[in-house]
Amino acid sequence: MKFAGHRLLDALCAEYLLGTLRGGARRRFEAARKDEPLVDLRLRHWEAIGTPRYSKMMEIQPRPQLWQRLERDLDLSQYRQRWYQRTGFWKAWAWVATAAFLLVLAVSVRTLPIATSVPPEIAQLSGANGSTQITARRSKDGGTLVLQANRPILAGPNQSYELWVIPGRGVAPISLAVLGNLDATITLPRDAIAHVHAGATLAISTEPAGGSPTGLPTGTIIAAGQVAS
Amino acid sequence: MLDDKLVKGLLLRTAARDEGSALAFERLYQMCAPLLLGVAKRIVGRQELAEEILHDSFTKIWSAADRFDVLANQPVAWMVAIARNRAIDTMASHDVSRVGSYHDNSLDDPDGALDKLFDWGEAADESEDRRRASAWMRDCLGRLQGVERQSLVLAYVEGLSHGELAIHLRKPLGTVKSWVRRGMANLRQCVEACMGNAG
Repeated sequence: MKFAGHRLLDALCAEYLLGTLRGGARRRFEAARKDEPLVDLRLRHWEAIGTPRYSKMMEIQPRPQLWQRLERDLDLSQYRQRWYQRTGFWKAWAWVATAAFLLVLAVSVRTLPIATSVPPEIAQLSGANGSTQITARRSKDGGTLVLQANRPILAGPNQSYELWVIPGRGVAPISLAVLGNLDATITLPRDAIAHVHAGATLAISTEPAGGSPTGLPTGTIIAAGQVAS
Repeated sequence: MLDDKLVKGLLLRTAARDEGSALAFERLYQMCAPLLLGVAKRIVGRQELAEEILHDSFTKIWSAADRFDVLANQPVAWMVAIARNRAIDTMASHDVSRVGSYHDNSLDDPDGALDKLFDWGEAADESEDRRRASAWMRDCLGRLQGVERQSLVLAYVEGLSHGELAIHLRKPLGTVKSWVRRGMANLRQCVEACMGNAG
């Protein structure tokens, strides 16, 4: 049966869209839509006239099990990207790997020097009133001295601190370094290394900016202590 | 209101049958299943039957996605039609008639039902043509005779056949058939007239 020139084509289109075209009549009409371009064209015209949209009020949320069943019945897993095919996965992996690498690097940088090269303490330098405490450590090769103050101690703008070693009673102080603050790592002068020995005294004086102009302490001794080892 | 452009994109991706198809189909389901379930439930009246229809409808959508016309502008209507037809066929194949138990009273007030069950507002994705067509449709439905309008709304929303309409409206079958036909013809003429005036 040809529907294209049918006198009731419009009525059939209308009933099809309305849902009152039933059973075999609907199936024949659907077949005609595929086979007869004019039927399809006319039905499109009817669809263009207007297919009303349902409101949200019509919606009913399905139970989650319904999707799971559908997914299983249609075997949808074969149309999913595997985890290793996902660009997102590799991007995330790259970020995590980079972050982990940086973390390991940071931990290594922080821990390795402490574990391997924290120099042993050789002296505690104290101020007259006890408020200033400075720990002196010396590297194993003896060439480096590390000072750690119990609080930030910074020299004023026209001032410097100078570290001295007094090898023994009656021996003149030998300058080891001129400092801007008392948290410092000092490379000892080669000829002074031997003088920093057990029983010697380390002392810090305040000096004009740039250090003592005379080669001997000129200002106040703010902290001093004996080298223990 | 469902976004037709987005739904269309998901349908086409589903039809591609590649490794992104399942995800697209899942999103399509999440977006449209509530509406399709609601449409089915409205027709069959029973939750478990409606759920079966939803399952069958999405099975058909999955298999027929590649036959969806890429030039068609109403993919949601295409999907709804699948669910409606499936629900209507299911009811036709069941022995127990649902006349007398199917409808809510609001459908005896078709004007109220039109604004309750349908969304005549403007969707963000709609073209100017679609917006105008929607407004014309609402206006023209309002101009139909009450019995015509009620017949069309009951048939469309509840999926009633001519015979079921006749029983529900307590009118002879021929009378109801003529209401439906005349109602649709008048609706078409009215909307076409609006189109002509707009053109």
